[in-house]
Amino acid sequence: MLTPYDFQENLQQRAQYIRNRLRAGSPVIGISYDNGIMLLSFKRRGRKVFEIYDRLMFSAIGNQADVENLRLAAIDFSHQEGFVRSPDDVTIQRVVGFALSPALKKAFGDPLTAPFVVRALFAELHDTPEHDLFYTLNYDGEFLPYERFAVIGGTANAEEQATRYLEANLSGVPTFESSVPVALTAWGIAYEAAQLEEADGVSEEAGRRRLRELLAEGQLEVGILERHTLRENRFRLVPHEQIEPFLQRL
Amino acid sequence: MRTHIGDFFELLQRYQAQTGVRIPMLQPLETPAHTPNSAPEVHGTTVIALKFKGGVLNVGDRRATAANAVMYDRADKIVPLDDYTLIAIAGAYGRAMEVVRYLRHAFKYYARSQLQPMSLDGKLQEVSRVLSANLPNALGGIGLFVPILSVYDPDQDRGRIFFFDISGARFETPEYGAAGSGAERIRGVFDYITKTKGAFSERPLEEVLREAILLLDIAADLDAATGGIDKVLPTARYATREGVFEVPEETIRAIVQSIRTGGNA
Repeated sequence: MLTPYDFQENLQQRAQYIRNRLRAGSPVIGISYDNGIMLLSFKRRGRKVFEIYDRLMFSAIGNQADVENLRLAAIDFSHQEGFVRSPDDVTIQRVVGFALSPALKKAFGDPLTAPFVVRALFAELHDTPEHDLFYTLNYDGEFLPYERFAVIGGTANAEEQATRYLEANLSGVPTFESSVPVALTAWGIAYEAAQLEEADGVSEEAGRRRLRELLAEGQLEVGILERHTLRENRFRLVPHEQIEPFLQRL
Repeated sequence: MRTHIGDFFELLQRYQAQTGVRIPMLQPLETPAHTPNSAPEVHGTTVIALKFKGGVLNVGDRRATAANAVMYDRADKIVPLDDYTLIAIAGAYGRAMEVVRYLRHAFKYYARSQLQPMSLDGKLQEVSRVLSANLPNALGGIGLFVPILSVYDPDQDRGRIFFFDISGARFETPEYGAAGSGAERIRGVFDYITKTKGAFSERPLEEVLREAILLLDIAADLDAATGGIDKVLPTARYATREGVFEVPEETIRAIVQSIRTGGNA
């Protein structure tokens, strides 16, 4: 029997399909601190945190090819704009809101295209931490700005739990040294919460334990944009030796 | 499906084709034939690149001229392109700065999209490409400039200097390079210094910096278009294993004062 095409049902099925695939993703924690802004995640293989432009970086969970397409689209737009206008005109809200979001929305709503399986977190560095910005970007084109810190994780519940933990444990403007342990625990909570169905209140210890177990299979990746530097590029990946002491104390 | 090759030139061409926005970088400058050149272009004058032990130093005066007029005495003709690369510009200032902006974006665009830095050879090729694209302008008498590219080469752990002709041909120089109207006048002095005091590449940065500022002073004496070192301090930048740095103003001021008071430290 031929069933009539139901737009809403179609979207729900697509969303369900994407959410199922995002669930296993490695969360990303973003924190703005005194000397810069960081994105922290855990990777089994391959890169996870990427430089987009002079003061812009990004990380995402989802299908690798989709993440890559989103990354390249962001880089193309930023460099085009930075050259034709000015690097000062390349802002997170223009890149996420105008360059990327409509394309995601279009792919998601079009029954004849495969939707992007992706949830992304962008971070933008400013001269003072109060002005630093994060944007999350969802597979359906929805985007939201955040200040101070932001999380993306496999489920909405996982993000909420990690956010609650960050809210309770980050006060004022943190330093790099005080941010990393908080980010590690928040990552563990977000990951654990996404793996367990209906998990409410994953404990800090459960989160840390999960991360400790996972460290045998991969490693942490921390990308930073430095606020004060003599180097031409503000972005760098923090070397593993610098992360190791934090993991020892986990 | 488009294969992403990190080519910034291609990205700009696509942008131009899609939007119709004309990008000056991609067009030859148009001058009406047979009209006298009533508004002369602004030109930058003398830049010097010298190796030192562990890297490469660039020094430039600050003057930009249009025919006989001094247009600007705060021009910065030495620009970092990335963490290992400096470009020094002599000639048509406007076109040169446009190209510098282009190259900065091209190198970073490649590195960010391809997740590996552009090779040294790739960077030199990119400079050659923009110069050969600029050739019709240069032959038409406007927009002519010559760059010197100074890089710290991490593979060989030393500084390297490349200069170019207007058609984009590239040449590597063993010890020093100079470009601009004052450069030709002082060419012999470089040789005199290397033959009497030894190779620049074996001497420490402080010594080489002093030589460079002295050379610039001599160039200004012999060339009316070169700004010299007194009225406005020259700029100096250098590239090493640690990255690209600017020499602080106080350091340059101290050297200029010691040259003026006849000190020969």
